[in-house]
Amino acid sequence: MSQLLEPKAGTRCLLMGNEAIARGALEAGVSVAAGYPGTPSSEIIENLARVAGERNLYVEWSVNEKVAMEVAAAASYAGLRSMCVMKQNGVNVGSDFLLHLGLCGTRGGMIIVPCDDPGALSSINEGEARQFARLLEIPLLEPGDFQEAKDMTKWAFELSEEIRNLVMVRSVTRLSHASGMVVLGELPAPRAEAKFVHSGFILDPMTGAVLSVPIGFKHQQQQEKLEKAVALFENSPFNRYLGPEKPELLVITSSACFLYSLEAVNVLGLEDRVGILKLGTTWPLPPKLLAKHLSSANKILIVEEVIPFLEENVKVLAAELASSVGPKTFFGKRDKTIPSVGEMNPDNVVSALAKIFAIDYQPAPEEYRKRGQTVAFFGAPARDLTFCPGCPHRASFWSIHNVLEMDGREGFVCGDIGCYTMAVTPTGFSTVKTVHAMGSGTGLASGFGKLTQFGMDQPVLSVCGDSTFFHAAMPALVNAVHHRSRITMVVLDNGGTAMTGFQPHPGLEVDAAGRQAPAVSVEEVARAIGAHVEVSDPFDLAATQEKLLTLLNRKDGVNVLVLRQICALSPQKKWKKLFEVSVNQDVCLGESCGCNRLCTRIFRCPGLVWDGQKKKARIDEVICSGCGVCASVCPSGAIQKKEAA
Amino acid sequence: MKVHGPSELLNDVQKGGLCIGCGGCVDLCPYFRNYMGKTAMLFPCTLTQGRCYAHCPKAEVDLQELARRYWGEDYTGSPLGCHREILGARAGKKFQMWRFQGGGTVSALVASALKSGRIEAAVLTDRSGFEPVPKVVTQWEDVGRCGTSKFIAAPTLAALNKAVREGKGRLGVVGTPCQMTSVAQMRLNPLGREDFSDPVALAVGLFCNWALDHRTLKAYLEKRLDVNGILAMDIPPPPANVLVLETASGKVEISLDEIRPLIPQTCFICPDMTSEWADVSVGMYEGRPGWNTLIVRTDRGADLVEQARSDGFLETEPMPEGYVKSLSAAALQKKQRALRTAAMREVLNVNEDGKRSALRVPPEVVNAILAAQ
Repeated sequence: MSQLLEPKAGTRCLLMGNEAIARGALEAGVSVAAGYPGTPSSEIIENLARVAGERNLYVEWSVNEKVAMEVAAAASYAGLRSMCVMKQNGVNVGSDFLLHLGLCGTRGGMIIVPCDDPGALSSINEGEARQFARLLEIPLLEPGDFQEAKDMTKWAFELSEEIRNLVMVRSVTRLSHASGMVVLGELPAPRAEAKFVHSGFILDPMTGAVLSVPIGFKHQQQQEKLEKAVALFENSPFNRYLGPEKPELLVITSSACFLYSLEAVNVLGLEDRVGILKLGTTWPLPPKLLAKHLSSANKILIVEEVIPFLEENVKVLAAELASSVGPKTFFGKRDKTIPSVGEMNPDNVVSALAKIFAIDYQPAPEEYRKRGQTVAFFGAPARDLTFCPGCPHRASFWSIHNVLEMDGREGFVCGDIGCYTMAVTPTGFSTVKTVHAMGSGTGLASGFGKLTQFGMDQPVLSVCGDSTFFHAAMPALVNAVHHRSRITMVVLDNGGTAMTGFQPHPGLEVDAAGRQAPAVSVEEVARAIGAHVEVSDPFDLAATQEKLLTLLNRKDGVNVLVLRQICALSPQKKWKKLFEVSVNQDVCLGESCGCNRLCTRIFRCPGLVWDGQKKKARIDEVICSGCGVCASVCPSGAIQKKEAA
Repeated sequence: MKVHGPSELLNDVQKGGLCIGCGGCVDLCPYFRNYMGKTAMLFPCTLTQGRCYAHCPKAEVDLQELARRYWGEDYTGSPLGCHREILGARAGKKFQMWRFQGGGTVSALVASALKSGRIEAAVLTDRSGFEPVPKVVTQWEDVGRCGTSKFIAAPTLAALNKAVREGKGRLGVVGTPCQMTSVAQMRLNPLGREDFSDPVALAVGLFCNWALDHRTLKAYLEKRLDVNGILAMDIPPPPANVLVLETASGKVEISLDEIRPLIPQTCFICPDMTSEWADVSVGMYEGRPGWNTLIVRTDRGADLVEQARSDGFLETEPMPEGYVKSLSAAALQKKQRALRTAAMREVLNVNEDGKRSALRVPPEVVNAILAAQ
């Protein structure tokens, strides 16, 4: 049994932040959860999906975040508690809907959980969701530890029902993906009956039609809800102060930065001089609470990640309260006391405090640091970003790269979001030249493909994964077809949302909870849109290259090439080898003219190893996944494959 | 011969606009590929010396070295190159099952070489629609299928390289002067590989003034007709001045004045009209329809011609002296133009440090050629 179903209140469990959030939702009696996979958010939906049966939940991986929000909102309108979950970028995707949702209000408690990725550990930007709370005029909660992740999630539903509007609970990578002790609360008996009441007076938020008009009226109502939330925030147990009554410096912080601040104060032994105001309710800020603490110190340091969101909001309040709290000296991101980009850590806070207090602090002796660098440089093998052994993307980009080079017209690939984004690097032969948001590859290609009238004759390709195809690439494909843009869209269909952990998507015959589901076919959709569609197995390099060359030479219309081969790490394929692969070192040409280490210098599957002593290639049987593609790459036939038993 | 590596080849020849797409560097390794007439380097190769560079007919070709090796004498710049005799020739009675575009001499010689076992396989150039495609033929009966003129540079030598990689030996190859130059350089074993054994048992060269670039010609012709429907191409002797395209719906004539601007610039630095580095060279015999000019150059070329004649695959007749003179004059003209152009483009006898030359000819020979009438 999942510990998420532990019935006994008071039980202490080691939970990952995302599990704590899921447990909090279960303790709140959530009925519907929807999301789109994205690191570091994915485990919330995955954990809820696992207990969907026992808890009578409806959980789905939606086609994209906007639809996820709509699915969750429908449940709220029908009186259920619901949540939608995504990584930071997902909030952008759904923000159009959210702006309306904020005005319309909610019925059953509804929360949105964005998991931000400061430092972009698993992202290609470090955009953050907090500012959406201000933009959308909804309350924002930021858990500072694992217990709070659970407790605040649960309370967020109550708050949502109290004010009848959406509440944002924002997590970050270090909270979502780390684990800590959590004391569980009550698990309510599954209940809830859904009914969408719509026959009441049109302006009645609980029985009328759900509308954002009349705007003035609804907007007014929305801001009153926010004021109600602020009143509750003034006494919220999620806002805490630790430190002396009159600190020399007040640290105001939230989220994972709270623990970093605690640690930094402790490292420098500043407990008697520094106070920490840890805020859990960060938008709108509770003014009375802030006034009390701002009065206590003249120097204020704001510790937070990515943009100076908290800093600016505190400063606005400080300006409004200036006559009562007096002038303050602020430290934070705007004066560069805190780094303005990247993830925070205790060292950063230590540096900031040391600077403010003029303490000479060395995190480690210089000698130690230098030695560490030397050992790391000479002792650790260089590890580039790389596709896994047997990854179909390596084979796909090998073919795409070779075909573009053979074509010789300086063709290029507009990339998209997935493991295959790595094709900007040598692991994908540096084939991808643009990377933006989900679906943007094909949108950009659609634009590039229309530049022939200005003399551009470079072949334009886009790539997207199967999940990305449904998420956001379809409208771009429609656009390209309708406007006769000359592009070739390559769908790298590896049978799941692979990068985030192989979650299902509408192209598969299974849903988030493991139920049978009708699959939507990529090629049928593309054909219906009006594209010329071909399908190939990327492991068959010759056939794939021939098809691609033919497509690039087609004079008119949009081409779609589906390269279908399941991810090497998929549950279906993992540990199952298609081939036993070996290198006949007598035949291997090694560094000599005729090969010059093509397999280990260019193709670079991690399953191939250069034997520096023998000057020959060999297979690393431990990690070789047996795809057999390198046998097709070897010019001398030294790499041999035979079907695995 | 100075041998550099693939980076120099890429820089000087591909990027320098000298690549004709002969296929000499293709299929030696996985890095160079030819697609639709254009040779591309797929990935960087870090070797400082490569066969790709060594074989290339546009990179450090040393005519003196080739002459000493193949002719046993210094290079003098004689217009038709070293040869034994020049004949009129055509396919003999026993080899007239095909309709030949000229006299069928090339096909007859190659078929005879295959039939007699002088060669195991012949590397030829076939046609797939518009596209000239290399073809390896092992049955003498199949030779005639490839016997049409293409006028388009073809990566024929890629197929030769592939056949060699696959372990084939005693190969015959038919190609243009640039391809014969590449083959001659290949046979020098420029990287000094110990296990090298000369895979070429017969080199049949074609006369060539220029070849057209596949892509440029295709783009041009596509405006006029369906290029995939082209069955045959011909450039009849002067004063016709047309390229004739045979299609299912009849003949299309295009003035050579329109075609000439499409000639790749690299053809203008080529000093060889008659494939001087081949065993035998074959070309048009103007004013004698159904016949070819045949230049016999080497021992094995002479043996083959003798064999083909006695088999009844080939018929020959003496060549009038007047015709040899005019042929020689045309060949000299090409040499003079090539040397002037190469010098102007600074790819002839470049000796500065760090710079490379496409062509090396002893300076006194350059002067002699340019002064010749």
